[in-house]
Amino acid sequence: MAKTIIGNTIVIDGEIEGGEDLVIKGTVHGKIALKESLFVESSGVVEADIETQNVEISGELTGNVICTDKVEVKKDGKMTGDIRAPRILIADGAHFKGNVDMEKR
Amino acid sequence: MSAGAGIIGKGIVIKGELHGEEDLIIEGRVEGSIALRKHLIVESTGVVMADVQTENITIKGEMNGNMIASDKVEITADARVIGDIKAPRVVIDDGARYRGNVEMVVQLPDGI
Repeated sequence: MAKTIIGNTIVIDGEIEGGEDLVIKGTVHGKIALKESLFVESSGVVEADIETQNVEISGELTGNVICTDKVEVKKDGKMTGDIRAPRILIADGAHFKGNVDMEKR
Repeated sequence: MSAGAGIIGKGIVIKGELHGEEDLIIEGRVEGSIALRKHLIVESTGVVMADVQTENITIKGEMNGNMIASDKVEITADARVIGDIKAPRVVIDDGARYRGNVEMVVQLPDGI
């Protein structure tokens, strides 16, 4: 699986879209639309509305998330925003503020 | 190329501003502007429609935009590039397609 990595010192202001996994260790402001998984690593800071299949948050994410499969906020993750996904996991120790919607549509 | 290089994969499209202080490899598509402190590599599958400011640029794919490099711009044999280049060292390989203005911003000795 091809993988895209946004490194620690990289800052992106704008839109990201695509059909493959995306790992964010840097900073992204704007909008992200993917067909695969998004990983926000512990050094990653994301302020964006997100539409994707899976999201795994170990860093900081501010924005609304719509997933077709799963959202996982890991124990060091900080998430602020609304989540809509069939499966949502929030680990012990994670920080979350927002609305959760697991209803099937 | 350092180990911590960022990679924009084949299936990814970025529209907007991108800046940073590390090496970046683009295999996908970037539209907007790029400002880096290090080395930018546009791979053969990469398409960059952006103004670029960096230390080094190596283009193996497609690039449309103005480039300012503090060290070197290299356009390899299969690259297709449109845009003005400003850099002390500019390398264009045999087979590369390029259109634009080149300015090697170095002071030439008197009489040359």
